[in-house]
Amino acid sequence: MKPIGVVRFLGTNCDQDVYDAVAAVGLTPKWIWHEDQFEVRDVAALVLPGGFSYGDYLRSGALAARAPVMKSVGEAARFGTPILGICNGFQILCEAHLLPGVLLRNNSLRFRDGWVELRKSSEAPAFRDVKASVRLPIAHGDGRYYIDEDQVKRLFDDDRVWWQYEQNPNGSLENIAGVMNEAKNVAGLMPHPERAMFGYSGGTDGRAFFSSLLALA
Amino acid sequence: MSDSENLEKKLKHYRLSRDEYERLTGLLGRAPQGVEWALFSALWSEHCSYKSSRIHLKSIFNRSERVLAAFGENAGVLDLGQGERIAFKIESHNHPSYIEPYEGAATGVGGILRDIFAMGARPIALANYLAFGEMSAPRMTALVDGVVRGVGGYGNCVGVPTITGQAEFHRSYNKNILVNALALGLFREGEPVLSARATGVGNLVVYVGAKTGKDGVHGASMASESFDSAGESKKPTIQKGDPFYEKLLIESCLEVMRERLVEAVQDMGAAGLTSSSFEMAARGGVGFKLELDRVPLRDRSMTAEEILLSESQERMLLIVRPENIEKVKSVFTHWSLDAEEIGTVTIGPDVELFWHGECICRIDPRLLTDEAPRYERPFDQWSPKHRVDSKSLVAMSASGMEQPAGQLLKILASPLGGSRAWIYRQYDQRVGAKTVFDCEENTGVVRLPDSGRQLALVLGGRPHVMRFDARVGGADSVAYPALELAAKGFLPLGVSDCLNFGNPENRDIMSEFVAALDGMNEVACELATPVISGNVSFYNETLGANITSTVATGLVGLGDPIDNTSIDACETLPPRSSFQNARDELFLLECDQITFTGMNAEFVGGATLGHGDINSRDTARFIQLVRHLALAGAVRSTRVVGKFGLPYALARMCTPSLGAKISWEPKIKGRWFDETLYQVIFAVEPDQAYEWRQLFEKIGANLPVKLVRLGEVTGDALVFEPRDRNQIWSVPTVKLRQAYETPWEI
Repeated sequence: MKPIGVVRFLGTNCDQDVYDAVAAVGLTPKWIWHEDQFEVRDVAALVLPGGFSYGDYLRSGALAARAPVMKSVGEAARFGTPILGICNGFQILCEAHLLPGVLLRNNSLRFRDGWVELRKSSEAPAFRDVKASVRLPIAHGDGRYYIDEDQVKRLFDDDRVWWQYEQNPNGSLENIAGVMNEAKNVAGLMPHPERAMFGYSGGTDGRAFFSSLLALA
Repeated sequence: MSDSENLEKKLKHYRLSRDEYERLTGLLGRAPQGVEWALFSALWSEHCSYKSSRIHLKSIFNRSERVLAAFGENAGVLDLGQGERIAFKIESHNHPSYIEPYEGAATGVGGILRDIFAMGARPIALANYLAFGEMSAPRMTALVDGVVRGVGGYGNCVGVPTITGQAEFHRSYNKNILVNALALGLFREGEPVLSARATGVGNLVVYVGAKTGKDGVHGASMASESFDSAGESKKPTIQKGDPFYEKLLIESCLEVMRERLVEAVQDMGAAGLTSSSFEMAARGGVGFKLELDRVPLRDRSMTAEEILLSESQERMLLIVRPENIEKVKSVFTHWSLDAEEIGTVTIGPDVELFWHGECICRIDPRLLTDEAPRYERPFDQWSPKHRVDSKSLVAMSASGMEQPAGQLLKILASPLGGSRAWIYRQYDQRVGAKTVFDCEENTGVVRLPDSGRQLALVLGGRPHVMRFDARVGGADSVAYPALELAAKGFLPLGVSDCLNFGNPENRDIMSEFVAALDGMNEVACELATPVISGNVSFYNETLGANITSTVATGLVGLGDPIDNTSIDACETLPPRSSFQNARDELFLLECDQITFTGMNAEFVGGATLGHGDINSRDTARFIQLVRHLALAGAVRSTRVVGKFGLPYALARMCTPSLGAKISWEPKIKGRWFDETLYQVIFAVEPDQAYEWRQLFEKIGANLPVKLVRLGEVTGDALVFEPRDRNQIWSVPTVKLRQAYETPWEI
């Protein structure tokens, strides 16, 4: 079984949670350090967990997008490896131009924690076991998805909008909570599936984001 | 300038009294020289020395077979069995937060986290106790906003969830807010508990973390003074935090600790390098030789004195064996942090400070720590306050309460009774993926990853009870949160306390301090729940006005395991605080010791009066009874009745679709919002209510308690049906919800 790479930057803080979630569904997680590069064929998929890489200095995700490991992440993206960016991981993938658009400060100008309802806008092939509507926790200060008008139309036309909020928590354009690249192997979302793995944690809708990868490993 | 004028000036600058000066010249056998002034100023400050409180703190109940470390270390440690241990502590950061709310609150969180991982524990939960003034007071909206942003900004970034909190509002905090932060850390099986006791002659003293700057110089002695009108000019004494560095420091420190590469650790907190080095040496009975010019600096122009007193954040002092230093350095390099050898452990007894090869100070560290002054500040024997006989309480006007429905909605829509969601929505409550109950519940709960057991954290300390009677308030600061734990089925295990008081040189304040401590201690002792960590914050006084004496506590409790082999397992979760099912039967369990007019009296501008007193033994037995009754499977929701009495507690249990029909009426006609210490509401499944009552008859028979049937959970209104049919009142649940969520936010 090929492992699922979990990429750690300085300041990543959901790394252990993602590692445990990957293991909980019976997959093999593998740490990947921000300074290292890796052989693309050695991993079944990659996850970039949330957190505050480099303290959100400059812009959230901006410094991490330039870390040495991102060269390999870029190769993996082109190779077709499924890559999931969660929260800060989503911000990093946008900053690295592996996903379209940007994540701006929430329109409340405040950090926002809570649970949100999401509906699937289009299918990401690697994560197809996830239900069409899910309830997941959010916790972010920079979660307002933005892209210019022409491009947002194209995202919808190309079925690259992955998730939309039922009730917009941060002012995201078109309630967008997650998007995909053109090849649909790279996907990012602001909510945290790794925090919704067990009944005691308030819901289990996050589980399928990881168990979907069993088909690949 | 004459010598004596010169001396006066020096004493003022270093915030030492004339008596203290005489004491230290006596100890040294000469006048202090050079940096010695700065050392005594810092370590003999109230903040570091506890000189006004120490003789009273000695009596604190802090022993049980679970206690592995208590006062004297960075934080207290409790053994939970099954290889799991926890460290926790609550600490104040009031003065800095009033001057610079964002940085003050943020560095308060940072400092308490360092106390926890300095012990070797990984921080897994945060909580914060905040007390603000009236929202109309000058700067108050900016203070509330800044503090909440600061707490969130730091905790969210380091990745430790905030799982509970408390926010109070009262005019006594208008010019002196309280920011108390609590952190809790976990040791898993085999992970070492570290000490702050320096050992091993020849070992290296290693500085790790962020570089040193001029921020926070003289911070400890600043925090030991009352505010004058020149509060603004104290800004340069405030530190600036960097949670990103803290995150790296947590990971790197825990790594070297778990690799057993470190002998002892202390956080550089108040009074920075001075307190950490002198306290570590004094505890270990060793000396240090320190080369101050090897301290990594942000600002090359810093003097030796500034380096000693800087309170730059995110720094730790480690004691490392010479053979391990290379391994230690490589771990810190991996995490992009500095690790610098700045000295060695010597046989002592002196700590010697060198500056570019020259010895600038040689002093026995015990003179600064053990020999610090101890004051027996004058206080009065406590006598119960604000008491009247029950007849007078009956005779008091019930003005403002003729319309209980309207009054309840007013309470719910005010900052005093309204939702705190605006605050806690700004805190990450689920990072770490262990959170079971977040800030939506009164009690935060996490699941311990190895044993699966639930660990609960709850804050206590109710200022309005302190204003009624400080001794009762002290007792309540343990009893009320212990009751909250018990109502969720948790066994209270330990207490951390943060004692926020005004000027201890004021006899009334000192009397309240002694009385509150006494009340707290008595309940802790009866419950066999040791007080294992905390701090004292005196001089919460601005221009002669003192804050409400405020005992903020954090209690932890242990509960049943949750099995995670079944994904959806929820059956062992504690009862919720809101109604779960229509037709559930509602009961009130009561151990009636004190009835007082409570927070509603303050809200309507009346007098706080009451009768009765707390019996610690009865209270402790009541708490145990509540726990047994809450653990019965038939119990679906529980809530401790607190501020604004029973109608408010029931209103808080209502959901948009579930209300209740209640046949209860207040003891004194019309006085719906008086408070009784203590009452707990239980919602029990209807088909098991009979057996549950039988259980109560069996285990509660010999206690001075009473169980009353209140009514049942129903549809979409909260209805009170007293015997007098003219007194019936009700409020639709939708309106309760609307009022409760009325934004008082800024």
